[in-house]
Amino acid sequence: MSQNFRLDKGGYINRNKKISFKFNGKKYFGYQGDTLASALLANGVHLIGRSFKYHRPRGFLGVSVEEPNGQVQLYSGATTEPNAVATTVELVEGLVAKSQNCFPSVSFDFGAINNLLHKFFPAGFYYKTFMWPKSFWYKIYEPIIRKAAGLGIAPLKPDPDRYEHKFEYCDILVVGSGPSGLASALAAAKNGASVILAEDKPRFGGSLLTDEVTIGNKKGKDWADETIMELKSMPNVIVKNRSQVFGYYDHNMMVMIERTKDHIENPDKFTPRQKLWYIRAKEVVVSTGSIERPLVFGNNDRPGIILASAAKEYMKVYGTLVGKKPIIFTNNDSGYDTAIIFKKNGIDPLVLDVRLKSESSVVKEAKDLGIKIRFSYGVVNAEGYKKVNSALIGKLNTEKTGYENLEKVSCDCICVSGNWTPTVHLSSQSGNKLKFNEKVNAFVPNQPKQNESTIGSANGSFTLKKSLEEGFDKGFNLSKKITGKDSKISTPTSNEKNYEQQDKFWCMPLPKNKSYKRCVDFQNDVYVTDIELAIREGFRSIEHVKRYTTLGMATDQGRTSNLNGLQLVSNIEKKIIPEVGHTTFRPPYTPVTIGAIVGREVGKHYRPTRKSPIHAWHEKNNAVFVDAGLWLRPRYYKQGNENLIEAAKREASNVRGNIGVCDVTSLGKIDIKGKDSAEFLNRVYTNAWMKLPVGKARYGVMLREDGIVFDDGTTTRISENHFHMTTTTAQAVNVLSHLEYYLQVVWPDLDVNVLSTTEQWAGAALAGPNSRNLLEKLFPNMDVSNESIPFMGFKEGDLSGVPARIFRISFSGELAYEINVESGYGMFMWEKIMEQGKEMNIEPYGTEALSTLRIEMGHVAGSEIDGRVIPSDLSLDGMLSKKKDFIGKRSLNRKAFIEPEREKIVGVVPLDKKTMIPEGSHLVADSNASLPNPKLGHISASCWSVEYNNPFSLAILINGKKRKGEKLYALSPLKNKVIPVEIVSSHYVDPKGERVRS
Amino acid sequence: MLEIKCPYCGKRSQNEFSYGGDASVKRPELGKEISDKDWDDFIYNRKNPRGKHSEFWHHIAGCRQWFKVLRSTATHEIFKTAKIDEEL
Amino acid sequence: MQKYSILSLIKNAFSNHQNWEVAWKDPEPKKEYDVVIVGGGGHGLATAYYLAKEHKITNIAILEKGWIGGGNVGRNTTILRSNYMWDANGLFYEYGMKLWENLSQELNYNVMYSPRGIINLAHSDAQLNVYARRGNSMRLNGIDALMLGREELKKKIPFADFSASARFPIFGGLMQPRGGTARHDAVAWGYARQADSMGVDIIQHCEVTGFDVQNGKIEGVQTSRGNIKTKKIGLCVAGSTSLLAEKLNMKLPIEAHVLQACVSEPVKPFLDHVVTFGAGHFYCSQSDKGEMVMGGDLDGYNSYAQRGNLPTIQHVLSEGVAMFPNLSRLKMLRTWGGIMDMSMDGSPVIDKSHIEGLYLNFGWCYGGFKATPVSGWTFAHTIAQDRPHKLNEKFTLNRFNTGHLIDEKGVGTKTWIG
Repeated sequence: MSQNFRLDKGGYINRNKKISFKFNGKKYFGYQGDTLASALLANGVHLIGRSFKYHRPRGFLGVSVEEPNGQVQLYSGATTEPNAVATTVELVEGLVAKSQNCFPSVSFDFGAINNLLHKFFPAGFYYKTFMWPKSFWYKIYEPIIRKAAGLGIAPLKPDPDRYEHKFEYCDILVVGSGPSGLASALAAAKNGASVILAEDKPRFGGSLLTDEVTIGNKKGKDWADETIMELKSMPNVIVKNRSQVFGYYDHNMMVMIERTKDHIENPDKFTPRQKLWYIRAKEVVVSTGSIERPLVFGNNDRPGIILASAAKEYMKVYGTLVGKKPIIFTNNDSGYDTAIIFKKNGIDPLVLDVRLKSESSVVKEAKDLGIKIRFSYGVVNAEGYKKVNSALIGKLNTEKTGYENLEKVSCDCICVSGNWTPTVHLSSQSGNKLKFNEKVNAFVPNQPKQNESTIGSANGSFTLKKSLEEGFDKGFNLSKKITGKDSKISTPTSNEKNYEQQDKFWCMPLPKNKSYKRCVDFQNDVYVTDIELAIREGFRSIEHVKRYTTLGMATDQGRTSNLNGLQLVSNIEKKIIPEVGHTTFRPPYTPVTIGAIVGREVGKHYRPTRKSPIHAWHEKNNAVFVDAGLWLRPRYYKQGNENLIEAAKREASNVRGNIGVCDVTSLGKIDIKGKDSAEFLNRVYTNAWMKLPVGKARYGVMLREDGIVFDDGTTTRISENHFHMTTTTAQAVNVLSHLEYYLQVVWPDLDVNVLSTTEQWAGAALAGPNSRNLLEKLFPNMDVSNESIPFMGFKEGDLSGVPARIFRISFSGELAYEINVESGYGMFMWEKIMEQGKEMNIEPYGTEALSTLRIEMGHVAGSEIDGRVIPSDLSLDGMLSKKKDFIGKRSLNRKAFIEPEREKIVGVVPLDKKTMIPEGSHLVADSNASLPNPKLGHISASCWSVEYNNPFSLAILINGKKRKGEKLYALSPLKNKVIPVEIVSSHYVDPKGERVRS
Repeated sequence: MLEIKCPYCGKRSQNEFSYGGDASVKRPELGKEISDKDWDDFIYNRKNPRGKHSEFWHHIAGCRQWFKVLRSTATHEIFKTAKIDEEL
Repeated sequence: MQKYSILSLIKNAFSNHQNWEVAWKDPEPKKEYDVVIVGGGGHGLATAYYLAKEHKITNIAILEKGWIGGGNVGRNTTILRSNYMWDANGLFYEYGMKLWENLSQELNYNVMYSPRGIINLAHSDAQLNVYARRGNSMRLNGIDALMLGREELKKKIPFADFSASARFPIFGGLMQPRGGTARHDAVAWGYARQADSMGVDIIQHCEVTGFDVQNGKIEGVQTSRGNIKTKKIGLCVAGSTSLLAEKLNMKLPIEAHVLQACVSEPVKPFLDHVVTFGAGHFYCSQSDKGEMVMGGDLDGYNSYAQRGNLPTIQHVLSEGVAMFPNLSRLKMLRTWGGIMDMSMDGSPVIDKSHIEGLYLNFGWCYGGFKATPVSGWTFAHTIAQDRPHKLNEKFTLNRFNTGHLIDEKGVGTKTWIG
């Protein structure tokens, strides 16, 4: 099809570059610089989609972000994009788009039956029905409703595109590049301020692109182009098009989305699709302009009914006609401009003006051009189903409640103009409580709550002269405040038409016995009758009206409907609009791609991955890794076809009988220095620390102030005033903050400094009866005897030239040493251990074997220290000093904490000595009791005991202290398991702890 | 995103900090007798005002210092920040 | 009261819907009431309804500062569940689930209870074990729960990240099949309509400015529309609890925090469950309109502002994309914030107070919506009988003194961690 609605000349499109694209399977042509919408209109395509609820045919109402109807599905597969607004989609070669929410096609849509039945589906109908019988809602009704829900189709594959983030600071961020925005950016930049100018559209200039005005004896558009050129040449200015500032957050944090890829024909491989800018601006100038409001009349949502300003922009920017037989329907002067441009392009419009008359110069110009104007007239009803083909027009009576006469006129489009709504979203988001301006019949910003200034038509200043004045003034004054400089440029003279006359009448009454549907919210299918019904039913607050009817809640966020809705409520309730109030504006201004918000935190980069310096060795040796917080730790080292349990048994047995080595680098480590260090530990831990000798380690338990166990670990006295603390992997970060809090906030008088050294040290635990022999080989010049390095002893050594710390501590319950070297030597240490240990058949062991070893020893870990237990629950009462106070001690005497039947850690063995008890099972007295079955405790950790070759578990059990020998049941209904068990000591292996001291 | 002036490092974005709660809550002295009510007030009960709130923040991705902030819980406006030993 | 049904809808269609009655009236406050409920949110409206229905107390006023249903009942992610580990929570919310199941019929208002199943994804064996502890506890309490393996999950949510490039691979999940969603506004409106029809006065735009307490007893309440006498006041003002408590010289174990939620644009439904991410704090469902309804972490500092900041949304959505990589290409339509009463152990308080005739209902953290029916039911019982019901007897204020805490998450008093 040829572009037979394209004017022969004019517009800012590149007519030398023809672009082909597909819409609903059919091939069309447009030009570079078109939007999908302008190209479709140039081809005479108006029927774009179907409405949400009633499936009414819909075409373009607008030309940009205000568009409620023209949403399409772009492309297919992983790169498909649902709900793309065609008026904002730039045309590129090969673009593929199709209509949404229609089946089988936009032209013939089964869903349109809803329109015939619309009487039965008024606002909120679903609250009143679908209740009987009970189960039918979710079995029958809801699935049907869900089939009809949604607009476009979501991709189901991962997004192949990339998105980036950028952080910027500036003195002044100017949002919008219309006359006031350009003026303020220029004035501020010339006065030395750092400026970012952001324009949502591809082209700068705002209204200067379409208005026939002059600034400083230049055409408005030329002035805009030159100003942009000048701004771009200045080093203190960033000028961005295709960049929408969508959110105004606290402390002048502005967020902007820049479209960087979709409009480029052959983008480079790594071009991000979009960039999200976090901009911290000292001052924000909101010059976001205004949006025209539609007029409301019968079937005012038919394709071919379009905002007058949009029709004008299609002609002026895209050289595209929205019709060849237009009606201009207006209640103000600005609609005449569209009529004049039609006329100048050789097309005769008919102007219907609801006002009695207007004396404005623009009306006079229209009259002088011979344009037909009928005052006191309006469109009563639009006719034509898939495209308007005629209009029932009527002469309004003096009260504007009915008609003196009605007649039918043929037309192929109706351009509507119902006043302007300032785009106050960002101002409102900043916290500015809006005020109603009677003169412009709309809400405008009031007192700024942050460093925000709204100017130009966003501020209700609808003349060019005023916009420029506000822009130059604001730009200068704000920059002066920041830079202290005083170079002011004078405001150029300007010349414009006068459009200030307007009428507040906006909703055409129904003729007698007619019930035309009059649309208020196009995308959400909200009609005048819906709002009337809501109020009739008592939903009188504007928020109730909004929620009950869904007015303004569609993806266009009511840009073209909110004010009309308010006017309607105001008319019905006989309240003035400011009393009705308005609903709150929330970010984002237009929907923002979720991927862009997320940025690069995707896939493996969702969160950092922490690896020990020995990681490569583990990988090479068939380690199967497990996530431990952000760390990856070897869970086991797979040999042959063995599974997790088999591997853990093998590795753990080798520790019990011989020697194993485990990478413990991920343990939290904190260096503590200062003369009060021992005193500090004494307050932080529950046990006594003052008398710990240099060269010795001690196990410690920390509580939260509420008495709950926070963390545990060993701390070693390296020298008199120097300690090395270890924490669990999970709590390392929190423990450091905890210590810093007490040192800096609570006890600043203590002379102590703490520093995380987790990353500074690599750690290897040697465990097993053979570990001393290996230690001797590793440190041939050191006395490694039990006397020299006793249990909980510490020594510094020399590992083939590398300084090392040796701690005789044990989590496995065996004779064990932990060797630390600087991280860079971690691999060296590990390889040395493996090399020297080879003849002893040393094997590495992972976290699963580690768990097995600690469980059968009854050592507690994260699965017991779950943020809900107190020390006595874990049989750690002995760790509580009676002689001193410590963090959390005061809480331990609370009633619930001293109850005699309080839970206690115990061991659990299945009676059959075969069945592993699933972790997370509960212990009950009666496996057949009726529900709810009282729970006595839960299984916190299970292993296959390598010592006894049968399953063993730890449990936290009510009154556990007195239940040794009792027979209970471990139940896991999730796994259908009922396991008779016996309660035993939690110290299943070596209860006296002889091995660690051997 | 809040912009918080660390008394040691200057203005930084909120994501460098972590929150530390009501700064009017003082930990009772160690080893001192204290009533249940005072202890519960320390651990659990909060004024939780709408408006000016003095609170702790911790510059975790910076100098690791704890400090005090006077901020409105109604608007998020920050009036003042101070070192721990300074008055807000 | 007009009955709502398909027949009444058809009948009214023929009179162009001109004959529908108001859903609730707009009365002037009377001088005295038997009970005054402060707060016209979900819990307050439900409390009044159950007081009237179960306890035959109908001389009740609900005083609402703004418009009913404008607080958290209209600002949440509409999730219903009883998948709790501790008995106090599990049995309480399970009773709530039973009320939800019949609520549309009981209220003659379609609250669209949709038991589409809630799935908690686990990303390690250790996490599966933690979930097993909770799931087994649920089952022993008579609550439905299933453990799902990776392969079963692939069938239910094939678009989740089961690929090798997932940072935290999916190991399995805990599912409560009866968990689901409901239509939030409808809950408030349905309770309001029934309460109104039984004689409850719903008084909007009426702010409580003070309490009349004499000799340790409630005698009345002062409001922006005059003083009202009453012997019993039920406080249901989550998000503003501390502000009213201050007027009673009470400090409570809560902090106000903002929780943001967001929705995507509507797309054709592809997600039929509520799914939570286990390697972060993110939950997601798809509404009957097609919007993806998403939420996660608190903004993390005391706030009454009902506005949040983008980094929290960024953080939450990064978790969303980690779970469902296809979300990346959808667009976020709207974000909003609600003010949570974050209690110091994550569980609520429904209790009497030290003032005779003053009853407290607060501390719902971000789980208040699903509790609406059962909170109202038990609170009505507590007010009418002057003692708690067995279901809420553990939700005492005193537990913060005795240590009988109900801490589901084990994070302690740092409420801002959530």
